[in-house]
Parts: sequence; C-alpha cells; structure tokens
Amino acid sequence: MNETELIRTLASIILQAAPLMIAVCGETITERVGVVNLSLDGTMLMSAMTGFVVGLKTDNVWLGFLAGAAIGALFALIVAFGSIRLRQSQVAVGFVLTLLGDDLSAFLGQNYTRIPGPVVKFMPIPILKDIPILGPLFFDHDIVVYFAFALVGLTWWWLFRTQPGLHLRGAGERPEAAFARGVNVNLVRYLYTMVGGALVGIAGAAYSLDVKIGWAEGHTRGLGWIALAIVIFGGWSPIRGAFGALLFGATKALATILQRTFPEVSVVAFNSIPWILMILVLLVVGSESTERVIAVMPRPLQRPLRRLLRVAPPMALGTTFGE
Amino acid sequence: MPASSTKQRFGHLLDGLLPVLATLAALAIGAIMLLLLGVSPIEAYRAMLEGAFGSTNALAETLVKATPLLLVGLGICIAFRGNVINIGGEGQMIIGALLATLVGLSITEWPGWVVISLGLLVGFLGGAVWGAIPGILKAYFNVNEILSTIMMNAIAVQTMNFMLRGPMIDPAQAELASKIPQTARLLDAFRLPRLVPTRLHLGALIAVVLAVLVYILLWRTTLGYRIRAVGQNPSASRYAGINVKQHIVLALLLSGAFAGLAGATQVFGVNYRMITDGSATGFTGSAGFNGIVAALFGQLHPIGTIPASIFFGALLVGANKMQRVVQVPSALITALNGLVVVFVVSSEFWRRRRQRQRLSVVSEDEEEKLPLSMSEEA
Repeated sequence: MNETELIRTLASIILQAAPLMIAVCGETITERVGVVNLSLDGTMLMSAMTGFVVGLKTDNVWLGFLAGAAIGALFALIVAFGSIRLRQSQVAVGFVLTLLGDDLSAFLGQNYTRIPGPVVKFMPIPILKDIPILGPLFFDHDIVVYFAFALVGLTWWWLFRTQPGLHLRGAGERPEAAFARGVNVNLVRYLYTMVGGALVGIAGAAYSLDVKIGWAEGHTRGLGWIALAIVIFGGWSPIRGAFGALLFGATKALATILQRTFPEVSVVAFNSIPWILMILVLLVVGSESTERVIAVMPRPLQRPLRRLLRVAPPMALGTTFGE
Repeated sequence: MPASSTKQRFGHLLDGLLPVLATLAALAIGAIMLLLLGVSPIEAYRAMLEGAFGSTNALAETLVKATPLLLVGLGICIAFRGNVINIGGEGQMIIGALLATLVGLSITEWPGWVVISLGLLVGFLGGAVWGAIPGILKAYFNVNEILSTIMMNAIAVQTMNFMLRGPMIDPAQAELASKIPQTARLLDAFRLPRLVPTRLHLGALIAVVLAVLVYILLWRTTLGYRIRAVGQNPSASRYAGINVKQHIVLALLLSGAFAGLAGATQVFGVNYRMITDGSATGFTGSAGFNGIVAALFGQLHPIGTIPASIFFGALLVGANKMQRVVQVPSALITALNGLVVVFVVSSEFWRRRRQRQRLSVVSEDEEEKLPLSMSEEA
C-alpha cells in the first residue's frame, strides 16, 4: 500500500467513525447524568429511517437531521420517564424500545428502501485541506465529520470545565449531595437524557444521509450496541470515547484489508474480529486483574497506565433518585 | 379493613385486566395503521384470531411457536432472578442448534431416541458454554454482561453463517449454484415424536415439564435460593457465605443452557435441519429476544411464563395468517408485534407500581423489588 492509499484509508476510517463519535458523546452525557439509555440500537435505526425519509420528502438534509434528533430525544424521554417518574428498570425499558425501534423502522420505512435520497454536501475546508497528511485526513470531509470532532471537544469542555457540567456529573455521581446543593436532580436528568438522545438521533441520521447513504431494513443494526460498549471503553469521557470509535473503525478497516490479503481465510474470522476485540477491551478496562498487573509495573508507569486502562462508571448510574 | 375491600377487589381486578387492556390498546393503534393501509381492521383481526386458535392445526402452530419462547424464557427467569441480564439468547440458541445438528448428522447408526436425547443434551451443554463465557467475564473480569452477550450473539451468527455455507452445507446444495445455507436433512428416525397429527412435537411437553422443574429449582432448592439471594443483595449474600461470583456464572450458564436447548428443539422438532437466511434472526425467528419479553410478561416466574409464551406464540402465528388473508406488508406485522410487546410490558410496570403503592400504605420500605436494576453494573 502506498502513501496516498494509506491516507485515503485513514480518512475513510475517520468518516466511518464520525457518527459513532456523535452517538458515543450523546450516551456519555446520558450516563454521566446517571441514566442508562439502552435503546441506542433501536433509536439509531428509527432516526436513520426518519432522517432519510424527511430528508427525501423535503429535499433538505438539515430537516432530516432535525427529525432524527427529535426521534432520538423522544426515545430518550421515554427511558427517562420510565426511570424517573415510573421508577422502572432502565434496562427493561431500554431493551423493549430497542426491539420496537427495529420493528417500527422496518415498517414505517418499507416504501423507502434502497432508493437514492439527499446526501450531505462534501465540504473541504480551503487552505487547511492543503496541509500535507493532516489536510486530507481531517479537513477534506463534510460537515458531519467536523461536527463530530467539535462535539467531542465541546462535550468534554461542558462536562469538566463548566458549572452546569459539574451539576450534571453531580446528579450522576452523588444525587443526594447535588440535591442538597440546590440542583434539581430529576430535571437535570430529564434534560441531559434528552440531549444525549438527540445526539444519538443525529448519529443515526448521519448514517442514512452521509456515511452509509440510503435506507434498508436493519440499516444500522448492531452499531448502537457498539456505541454502548465504546462508552464504557471510553471511561465515560468523550475524548477517550472518540478514540474508541476511531479504534473500532480502524479494526473494521483492518479486517477488510486482511480479508483482501488472505482470501483463503474465511470471511467469518475477519467479521468476528471487531466483536471479539470489543469483549477483550471491556475485559481489560473492567478487570481487577489489570490493577494487579499495573501494580507490578515500574512506579513512574503506574499512574499513566492506570489512567489508560482502568475506568469506573458514574456512581449513581442506573439508580433512581427520590426527593 | 372492610371499608376498603371493594376498592381493593376492584384494584386486583384491574391488575388482572391490565395486560388485556394493554393488548387491546396496541391492537387499536394497529387498527389505525390497517385503516391507513385501506384494510378493514375487523376482517384483519378475525383472521388473526382464526390463525392462532381457529382450528386444531392453528392451535398446534401456536404451541409450536410458543415452545422456544418458553424455553428461552425459563432461562431468562433464572438469569434475571440472579440479577444478570442475558440478552444472548439468540447466540445461545444458534450454538445449541449447531451442535445438536452436528450430532444428528454424524451419528447415524444409533437408535432414534438415543440420538435425539444426545442431541438435545449437547444443545443444552453448548448453550451453557456460550452463556457461561459472559458469566465468567462478568463475575471475574467485571465485564458488563448486556454488552458481552450481544457481542456473543454476533460471533455466533458469524459462526453459523460460516458453518452452514462451508463445512456443514447440504451436499446437494453445495453442487447447486444457489447454495442455500442449510445442512442436510436429518434421518426420519431422528425427529421428535409428534403429539397429535399436527406439527406439535414432544418439545412442547418437555418445555412445560422443565418450567415446573425450574420453579422447583428456584424456590425449592438451595442452589435456586442462592441465585435469588445473590440477585437481591450481593453484599448480604457474600456475608452469609455464598460464593457470589460462582452463582453469577451459574445463573448465566443455566440461562444459556435453556436457550441452547430451545435451539436444539427447533432442529429436532421443527426444521429437521439447520437453515438460515444469513441474518441474525434467520434461524431463531427472534425467539432469543422474544423469550425475554415472554419472561418479563410472565413476571419472571417459570409457571407464569407458560401462558405468556403461548400469548406471544399466538400473536406470531395469528399475525402470519392475517398477513396472508388481508394482504398487508409483513413489516406491519413486526411493527404490530412490537407495539403489543411495548404496551404489555409497560402495563406490567404500571401494575407493579400500583402494587408498590398499596404496599407503601403498610410500610414505606416494603417494596416488592424485582432484581432488575443496573445499579451495580459495569
């Protein structure tokens, strides 16, 4: 593979990872505030379908994205309402919504399968795109990619550098303490669960309008679960999550390349790589054995290794808060 | 409290009727969809009822569809009671079915009942292994089991596609250009006996017997008690000397085993071979997912899961008939099923909430707590 080819592959990995980065940011926000929105897979299917159909009917991709965001926020609202008001298991509500999203998107989108539709316009950034290597990698894309990277930064800044972000994390870590400091925990949870859901919806629409153009039954199936796994791998940080999304994209690209190089090996082996890798990654970041391995490492390495390999969820994740 | 007894009785009546009301509400929304498609809802729903219960054959089909739901649902009862969420029923079914098919195809000299029993056992064990892996990952490596079971599903589907297109493909298909991914047919002697002259097979009876056994396991044995104790309160269980990690693995292992058995039963009782369309649900018909819903509907009780499975089985069979009779797109059927599931499950939540409210009159803390929280996840 020569240099141009390598850069082209890397640029396509970035494009493929962009919607996943958006979804991971959304779910990171949701889980940071203490709510697990397990419906991601169904939400993305519904918003991919809705985004495509609305974009097609209005001939306007932005309205498509808006519709996708609205669907995502609606699904998130159901999860939040079930958890906060009805005090039901977020897992059960989310799972049932996953099934519903899959079924409903197949039904409502059946007349729109495999037809051409609107596409997000290619938008290279002048001057910046001419920087060697970095230019074609990061500045020779469309707005979805730029939005994804901006969103990662913005989410990190909002979560860790602002007062509302502190309240957000407080509601997810120690809701009682946050409540005592005057935070309306449940309102904050409603709000950010819906914001997170809207971002997941945008991610779904980004698939059907940009990265994997068009609609077919089960168009994005499986990617929602991948996003949920990446949130854990990312240690509930948008920046690490973004790396996780890029890493996943790279594995998939690598699998494709390997498949071309070794055609005699079954496709199955390569198709399974990303999934097996996800399990291994979850295993490393969650396991106490990792801690033991780190403990025998040279002392100056311990802190960075721990930061790299160990993650802990928000303490009040998945619990309800009664005032 | 005689003053409130009428109200209480009404409350209980309402509780009992809630699932029915929820189903009706979902069907009402379905009726609107049907009207929009220009189909008479009355005609459509009559076809649905007839398709599910209208004749001996219809009833038998309903039970055939209910069988894998019940088997998967039994496993779900065990897992969820132990507070582990098993979403890997699909993959566990596939692995169970693959291994059972291998047994059925490779051993041809032995008597039928031996091969069938061996096949079902191997399917059971295969599902157990596929379930135990996420169990071990959760208990000893702190890996979220919801995600790992989903990933295991994907790996199982890939394995199935590989086996059915490669090593296990029907020799007849291998020579054709079409290459339908399916195995050769099992010998006639290796079919589960049929109960009445319909497609209803012995597997349905086995499932019902197992439902009773799972009930006994969960509520009448030490093992079951420990699994439930770990599900309710892991810290207290550890203090009481229960090996919490071991019981987490056991809960997922047993859960997977029942799903594996469901897969094996499909092979020996319904298809007599393994066949797929390449998708995740091509072989299972989503039974690995729908079994979860059936178990939730049956309040995570093995006996309650029996009528719940029959209900969802009837829905699947009836919807098929409705599709044929009134010519609606098949996607409407899946959407309708999805709606019923959502309404019924949410009504179940509502019922439990009312139950809690009644209890809270007695005491604030005596909540009926079903082990279904993700509070100690990840």
